[in-house]
Amino acid sequence: MKKNKIIYSIITLIILLILVYQSVYIVKETEQVVITQFGKPVGEAKTEPGLKFKTPFLQKTNYFEKRYMEWDGNPNQVPTKDKKFIFVDTYARWQITDPLQFFIRMTNERGAQSRLDDILDGETRDYIAAHNLEEAVRSHNRVPASSGATGEMISDSLATISVGRQELQRMILISANKKAADLGIVILDFRFKRINYVQEVSEQVYERMKSERFRIADKFRSEGQGEASRINGEKERELKTIQSEAFRKAEEIKGKADAKAAGIYASAYNQTAASRELYGFLKSMETFETTFDTSTSVILSTDSELFKYLKSMK
Amino acid sequence: MENTFDIKKIGSPILKKILKYRMIIIIVFFSLFIFFSTFIQIEPEEVGVITRFGEYVRKVEPGLNMKMPFIEQVYKVPIERQQKLEFGFRTVKAGVNTQYSRSGAKDESLMLTGDLNLADVEWVVQYRINDPYNYLFKVRNPQNTLRDVSEAVLRQIVGDRTVNEVLTVGRTEIATKMVLLANQICKEYSLGIKIDQIVLQDVNPPELVKAAFNAVNQAQQERETLINQAKSEYNKVIPKASGQAEETIQKAEGFATERVNNALGEVARFNAIYKEYVKAPEVTKRRIYLETMSSVLPKLGSKIIIDEQGNNVFPLLQMQLNK
Repeated sequence: MKKNKIIYSIITLIILLILVYQSVYIVKETEQVVITQFGKPVGEAKTEPGLKFKTPFLQKTNYFEKRYMEWDGNPNQVPTKDKKFIFVDTYARWQITDPLQFFIRMTNERGAQSRLDDILDGETRDYIAAHNLEEAVRSHNRVPASSGATGEMISDSLATISVGRQELQRMILISANKKAADLGIVILDFRFKRINYVQEVSEQVYERMKSERFRIADKFRSEGQGEASRINGEKERELKTIQSEAFRKAEEIKGKADAKAAGIYASAYNQTAASRELYGFLKSMETFETTFDTSTSVILSTDSELFKYLKSMK
Repeated sequence: MENTFDIKKIGSPILKKILKYRMIIIIVFFSLFIFFSTFIQIEPEEVGVITRFGEYVRKVEPGLNMKMPFIEQVYKVPIERQQKLEFGFRTVKAGVNTQYSRSGAKDESLMLTGDLNLADVEWVVQYRINDPYNYLFKVRNPQNTLRDVSEAVLRQIVGDRTVNEVLTVGRTEIATKMVLLANQICKEYSLGIKIDQIVLQDVNPPELVKAAFNAVNQAQQERETLINQAKSEYNKVIPKASGQAEETIQKAEGFATERVNNALGEVARFNAIYKEYVKAPEVTKRRIYLETMSSVLPKLGSKIIIDEQGNNVFPLLQMQLNK
């Protein structure tokens, strides 16, 4: 008796719980719900969070994400307009804005992701292929800041662009949103994450970078040699200038002194006939003294002034 | 708290056994359960976000807080903690000697510069959650989103710069600009994240090109060396030559002074003799002649004095002299 009562009450409780479970549902902040009745959507989508009610058993809840979701593109190998093969890795943010439409068109998120793959990859290919590589890499036409000696050396410059990365992203976003308009989703943002050369191209780029650098290195070296030669030349020139100037000055000084001495001598020796005579006489006397030595033999006549008294005392 | 949690765990299997016999235990268990689902502890660096039936109702501050059991749920978000994302490398073991790994992160760091060269940039993003509501409820996988955003933003900025700028002068500018731009996008995405700082770590040319870049630096050094050597040679030679020039000039000056003084002296001597000579020319002349002879003749080797009539002795003398 007592046992039966307990069993009945337990059964009632279970039935009650199932009923509550079937008629009450919770929508979290991050979710939105579409109610379907025998697979057919009923009423508006529930986008507000909270406790909600539905007809038990007949109606089914279909939960969808309300938050912004990520879409990460596969790296696509795409040739650009200027025939450069690159990998473009993209990402997008998207959101289910019309869950009802989304439910009808896509059923679930996986379907949406693959649809986004088709749309966004396709758009990316189209736009990249229609533009030069620079357009996808650069956003603005800016003048690069001077980056030291090396930068000046290769005269750093950026080719001008007409569209640019941001504009390309914007155009892809707009045109993708057009194609996704009936899917109940909105793509909020689309961006190029990575753009890289494909293997063979990057090898070429490395080679180019290398040769560019070597060119700069050679230029540095030859600049050094040139500068050194210039300094060396300057040195030689200055050396010669200094030496020759010194020589000139010295000769001038000596010449002046010679002239002055000559003047002095002349003023004394050239006073009268007698002084000229005396000078000649003194000079020859002086010459005797300086030129005669022990190896000199001399034959003197007794007629000479010196020995004239040798013969007789006249 | 851990202790009581253990009791609950141990309690579960025991509960099943005892369920049939003691109703009281069920009540105790339920009250304990209600107790622990009512009181919540929020750590100092966290904030608690509470939802009721999935709907956001309020935020709670660090400390002990209460919520309605079962129907309210708490999410703890560490808003004060600074978190970081690494790009191009991963910290394997943090510590005094932090170890890094580059495997698998290579593609992250390789990027195209505006002049279509490649640069290898490693960077770190430091961020905090500044809006827990957005962080929890607005974006799925906010961290992944942040990774995507920082990669896209850095590449956009680097894409506008030359490889030289990226490698040399542009570093800080890039980082500053990146913080600005990335924060703007975080706001746009309602990420609930604020980037505090972006630090560019290693900025290098790609591995295969590094040698060439080093060659440039080397050549630059070489240039400086060559110039310095030339300058030092210049400095060695020119001052010495200047000194030598000065010497030559000074010597010439000395010579000049000497020459003039000699002239003056000789002339003075001459004038003195001349003064006396004029008074008695014949005698003076003879005196000087004889004086000179008497001083010169003793120094001579052979002296022969002959008579003016004895010219015929010359051949004989020749023989004697030649002996």
